[in-house]
Amino acid sequence: MMNEMNFKMPASLNELALNLDNADEKTYLISGGTDLIIKLREKKIYSGTIIDLKGIQELNYIRQIEQTICIGANTTFTEMIHSEILIKNAPCLVQAAEQIGSTQIRNAATIGGNIANAFAGADAIPALIAMGVKVKMMNAKGEFFLKDIDEVVIGSGKNSLHKDEVITEVIAPVLGHGYKSFFGKVGSRERVTIAKLNMAVVVKNNHETGVIEDARVVLGSLGPKAFRSDLVEIELVGKYITDSLQTEFEKALITQIDISIAGRSSRPYKREAVKALSEDAFSNLFGSPAWRCNNEK
Amino acid sequence: MELIINVNDIEYKLDVNPRMRLLDVLRENLGLTGAKEGCGEGECGACTIIMDGLAINSCMVLAHQARGKKIITVEALEQDGEMDRLQEAFINNGAVQCGYCTPGMLMSCKALLMNNPNPTDEEIKIAIEGNLCRCTGYIKIVRAVKEAIQNQ
Repeated sequence: MMNEMNFKMPASLNELALNLDNADEKTYLISGGTDLIIKLREKKIYSGTIIDLKGIQELNYIRQIEQTICIGANTTFTEMIHSEILIKNAPCLVQAAEQIGSTQIRNAATIGGNIANAFAGADAIPALIAMGVKVKMMNAKGEFFLKDIDEVVIGSGKNSLHKDEVITEVIAPVLGHGYKSFFGKVGSRERVTIAKLNMAVVVKNNHETGVIEDARVVLGSLGPKAFRSDLVEIELVGKYITDSLQTEFEKALITQIDISIAGRSSRPYKREAVKALSEDAFSNLFGSPAWRCNNEK
Repeated sequence: MELIINVNDIEYKLDVNPRMRLLDVLRENLGLTGAKEGCGEGECGACTIIMDGLAINSCMVLAHQARGKKIITVEALEQDGEMDRLQEAFINNGAVQCGYCTPGMLMSCKALLMNNPNPTDEEIKIAIEGNLCRCTGYIKIVRAVKEAIQNQ
């Protein structure tokens, strides 16, 4: 019907593929609903087709298969926070999940929805980029394909999915020995806040030499989409963990902010805010300053 | 479109437009006006209800998404004329002032105690972080939850 909202309730991926067959620009996929329902109301969209993914039980899981962690698209942030697999292998993802919205939002909102919504200040996305995840998708033919998270989230509120495609899974590698990860954010208040700046860091520290061998630093809320900052990463790789490295790390972050949002009114605030974030990242990843001094070479 | 929904242990068969939110159906079809619409975007928590044991904002879930789920609203806290210990504790501690946030606040606290009978102060604060209260300053609410824990 022209002026009605249709509602599809697939119970399996097979049924979902059939529902996707006629998908057009008036087809909306809903999972937790915390973003879509607000959007439909804001844009006064009263007709079209809503496909509810929440009834698809086979999209709700967190599994470890050897060196890979698979997270079903319907997994909520509350479920991620309580996942032993993620607590052990992907602390930055758990830290991001913990800081998303409120208890009510975390109980409903899903990882698949957070990616598809592609909000520039989304908290899970920087952590997913830092983890180097791949996103598994399915089309109306029931075919599955993989893309890097960076190819799925392509801009502010923009994803690269066609109307007849759906995110089904997030695939994260188990980070090897010596890897640590961190997520932090700064907003206008401590909790239930939209990030004015957020950051995920994954580092590999060689315990024998004390040198950082690999670093991925992802910044969010600094542009249309979260991105890896080469200039900050270069500052870390090959270095010993010292207090002066922390200073250099902070300086590099400020430089990145100056480049990314030159001329923006939020720049002075974010230059200051990133200092607290860099301190949090350092103490979280490398322990207290006292511990670091003892290891200085 | 037909919707079969279980609210406060009663099964209802309703005709519901797919774009209606759970909040709309609770208030308008079922007359359960405890859950309130404050912001309509997940900021204030006045519409909080419990779905399958978890607190959620009923303004951010479509009514048809609640099919087959167990919904509990603030109206079910009182049983056979007896208030829930949380309600008693809210009254005892002056945790209700204007009252607009109270149904949502109670449901967030109820969900917390259902899943975690002995929460820490920090856990109480996280449970109600999605519920705005402009009157009490939250201290009395936290105090009330702690009293309810003691009176278990």
